[in-house]
Amino acid sequence: MRLKWKIFVASLRMFTRQREAIIWTLLLPLFMITLFGFVKFDGMGKLDLGVVNEAGANGNQLIESLKSVKALKVSGGAQDIELAELGKGERDMVLIIPPNFYLGAASQLTVYFNDARPQEVQLGQLVLQRVLDEIVFAQSPPPNRIVLAAVPVKSRNLTYIDFLVPGILSMSIMQMGIFGVAFGFVQLKKRGILRRLWVTPIKPSDFILGQVAMRLLVVLMQICIIIGVGVAFFGLHFMGNFLELFLLGLLGGIVFLSMGFALAGISKSEDQVAPLANVISLPMMLLSGVFFSRNNLPGVIHTITDYFPLTYLADGMRSIAIDGATFAQVGPQFLGLGVWCIISCTIAVKMFRWE
Amino acid sequence: MTDTILEVKNLVKRYGDLVAVNGVSFSVHRQEIFGILGPNGAGKTSTLEMIETLRPIDGGEVSLNGIDVRTKPQEVKRVIGVQLQSSSFFDKLNLKELLLLFGEMYGRVVEPMKLLTQVELDDKVSAQVSELSGGQKQRFSIAAALVNDPVVIFLDEPTTGLDPQARRHLWGVIKQIRSEGKTIVLTTHYMEEAEELCDRVAIMDKGKIIALDPPQELVRQLLARGFTKERIERLASLEDVFLSLTGHSLRED
Repeated sequence: MRLKWKIFVASLRMFTRQREAIIWTLLLPLFMITLFGFVKFDGMGKLDLGVVNEAGANGNQLIESLKSVKALKVSGGAQDIELAELGKGERDMVLIIPPNFYLGAASQLTVYFNDARPQEVQLGQLVLQRVLDEIVFAQSPPPNRIVLAAVPVKSRNLTYIDFLVPGILSMSIMQMGIFGVAFGFVQLKKRGILRRLWVTPIKPSDFILGQVAMRLLVVLMQICIIIGVGVAFFGLHFMGNFLELFLLGLLGGIVFLSMGFALAGISKSEDQVAPLANVISLPMMLLSGVFFSRNNLPGVIHTITDYFPLTYLADGMRSIAIDGATFAQVGPQFLGLGVWCIISCTIAVKMFRWE
Repeated sequence: MTDTILEVKNLVKRYGDLVAVNGVSFSVHRQEIFGILGPNGAGKTSTLEMIETLRPIDGGEVSLNGIDVRTKPQEVKRVIGVQLQSSSFFDKLNLKELLLLFGEMYGRVVEPMKLLTQVELDDKVSAQVSELSGGQKQRFSIAAALVNDPVVIFLDEPTTGLDPQARRHLWGVIKQIRSEGKTIVLTTHYMEEAEELCDRVAIMDKGKIIALDPPQELVRQLLARGFTKERIERLASLEDVFLSLTGHSLRED
């Protein structure tokens, strides 16, 4: 135990004295958040309109008309769900069609709107009013006009930063695990440092455990610093609890560390390890929903990326950090990473070579 | 029975079809400096690495301080000190931290200053290995080989690549360590190093030991076989000229 601790302390000392390591694991992620944070990916595209139809068939014609308007993205559901979405900032407006609604009756419709997006909402109200008028005047004789009553709702408006920060955090855990371990151990092998260790009575497992413990501590530091900087400087809407973040981060850390060990096992030099590490990490970096939502990926690729370890980690981190998801809610992510953990540890044990 | 500390019998190492070590036998006495001399590829390093537990023994027996190397490698590791040919140490740790860490691997709390003084590196205690000169690096790896107070120390080509001053300095350090009661087994391909430093020398070629005796005895045997050098015996060599012009003191610091 004492030796494992000493190895841990020495490894941490070496890590913190290595300028490149600090840059790659902490500064680069923060730099990427800054860079992508400046590019505004919000505010483009359609107006999200939620429709709560309590009038059944009587409301359907109105909904069809709304759906034909290109500027609107219409989704429907029960009133409490739609209002909750509005509260989260997922909807710009929610239109309520009451049970007694039918065309021809003089009526008033209530529309709730996100008070933090006045311009979009103003435009949306105009569009809605016009759609209503068109329907009404298409009837003959024209019945009474339907008027809109607008009610502002305080929303928690998630921004691109809220999407980006947990993604970048997950990506930097992956990079630290795969690249840090793969390059670090290939060097130890190549320079004969490991051989020098094996003429002492040290058990290889003691050495590996000390190293793994050090890197898992770095994962915790990454979580604290990246989330902390996100909240302090980028207005991250953090709602999560750190215990969940830590546990998911450690699980993800173990998955990627063991991938690093497997790569170090089959490579003899840095030249061999670099392309392998990139082949594994690049697709995940681009397709696991780190920078952009996976919603726009075509079907098959979307399904495949569902099972990427980085997808589990990024989705889980995001749900915990932004939506305050409970353990039960991120159960699938824990499970997915758990399965990956078994797979990658098994491969690492099989592939790792000391020489 | 003589005071034998290392007994090697019919040692064999194969790499595929190549027999790198082909039935090597020798014994080393306590507090001796024993040299294995031979050209590159003679099997010196393979022989050492089998004794050091680093390579599986393909045939034969090795007994070190009464411990069977093949069946009890962990016990052997505890009593030997090793300097590997191209040994390297962790970056970013200074000499003191490295020695403390290596001591911990044997469950010992060592005194770094004492070890560094033994190899005359006490002024480099806060330096990192990458900042040391070639001779200093070799001296440091000897210090690292001493952390567990070993009974036998193995040095694999300790002076290869060093300039004459640094080489002589290292010889002094090695002799000093022997005088403190250690047994030293080293490999070299420098004849004059074997002659200067070793009590007995095994000459190895193509995986076999072809001669084993004190250096003077080997020379005597050669002369007895009627050998004469064609050139005239010189009273000084070019190295003597070099050392006399540049001085015996070290330049590396």
